[in-house]
Amino acid sequence: MTQISMTLDAIALSSYTVKEESLPTPAASTAGHLPIESLNPDSDESLLMKVGDQQCTAAFNILFDRFANRIFAHGMKITRNEQLSKDLVQEAMLIVWQKAPLYDISKGNAQSWIFTLTRNRCFDILRKLKRQPNCVSADDIWSSESGDIDAYGIAENDFIDVEFVQIKKFLIQLPVAQQAVVEQIYLHDKTHEEAAAILEIPLGTLKSRLRLALGKLRQLIGTEND
Amino acid sequence: MISETKFHPSTELLQEFAAGTLSAGLNIAISAHVEFCELCCHKTSEFEAKAAIDWLQTSEKHSSSDYSDMIAKIVSQPQQNHIEQQDPSLSEIHMLDHSVSLPKVLAKAASNGLVWKKLSGGIKQAQLNIDDETQCEFIYMTPGSQTPAHKHQGSEITLVLDGSFSDELGEYNRSDFIMRTNKDVHQPRSDEGCLCFAVLDSPLTFTKGIARLLNPINNYRFRRSMSQRAV
Ligand SMILES: [Zn+2]
Repeated sequence: MTQISMTLDAIALSSYTVKEESLPTPAASTAGHLPIESLNPDSDESLLMKVGDQQCTAAFNILFDRFANRIFAHGMKITRNEQLSKDLVQEAMLIVWQKAPLYDISKGNAQSWIFTLTRNRCFDILRKLKRQPNCVSADDIWSSESGDIDAYGIAENDFIDVEFVQIKKFLIQLPVAQQAVVEQIYLHDKTHEEAAAILEIPLGTLKSRLRLALGKLRQLIGTEND
Repeated sequence: MISETKFHPSTELLQEFAAGTLSAGLNIAISAHVEFCELCCHKTSEFEAKAAIDWLQTSEKHSSSDYSDMIAKIVSQPQQNHIEQQDPSLSEIHMLDHSVSLPKVLAKAASNGLVWKKLSGGIKQAQLNIDDETQCEFIYMTPGSQTPAHKHQGSEITLVLDGSFSDELGEYNRSDFIMRTNKDVHQPRSDEGCLCFAVLDSPLTFTKGIARLLNPINNYRFRRSMSQRAV
């Protein structure tokens, strides 16, 4: 089982190396290279996953301690307003809590994840303050917050030899529409565009189905290992 | 998606885009380019990771508040287990007399409808009200049109969305991101017609808008005003 789990993680992680190579790597953010089981339990990533998987409030408290002041500082830098910066802490940490189950370590470390959602909420808060038209929001501008797969180039150039038969028993637990997408991309080696055309669905729909499917698969395989 | 982008935002612009320190108007233009351009998309991810590292290294500014109430309130909220379906990235939009695929953010910004104004030389313009620091507009050059030679008070960013245009310095196609400063006099022309999105420094604030990113240009402006005073 571990074998499969590693392979599947490699699908998602292989594209991440592009990003890592050109960056200085701080101690806590090397997580991306490791199988989830061997993460330092005190790392931001482990805590965030505990919050997501087990609604762990103790882990959330630690994350809150580590990040609240940073979020406040970002708010002060951009808005120069103490009350707004406190609002930002509340809004950003609320999203950390709410979206923790969606956090995907293969797409980046916890700090980047929390930074981008802080940046985005701050942008929206400031626009509201200045009464600027609400025709566009941060989510329209920075689409990768919710994990746009394309932003990290997954699946375009990283086909890894997955032992498909062994994965099949997990695959059948997915909704049929997601199974179809995974089969086209990983079994038939189609590009996103080709798969979308074959399945007759919009490209955006294909990408979100693939994202959901990979997340779910990783979860299923992880449960099996426990 | 499109492989032949020749003109990209500068590194500084992309870094500020990732860090979240630009005006909404500039963010929109860069976001739209990033959707066209895989290279800038990868760079943005890199710069976001770097911005996160810089962020962690900022000295912590303590706010005196006790957060325990806030935490209690937060953890009483339900969590979210599903990613909301996102719209397909490009949106077909009917503009003037034909349909154009727009990057997501621009389709959203234009979704309230556009009012087109006729300018001289076969140019049409539809302004968007985005923020106080910039003036944002769609520009449509009809086939064979040519603008009068002009200069800008601040800076101007142009993103080509459909068709092509050229000026003294080059030819620009879909996805190209062009930045012109107040020293450039230019006279764009388009043989096949062209739809662009343009962001200009607002006349009121151009010294702190886009031009702020162009230190040499600021110096130039400063020197010029000094020499005028000397005369
Ligand atoms: Zn580019």
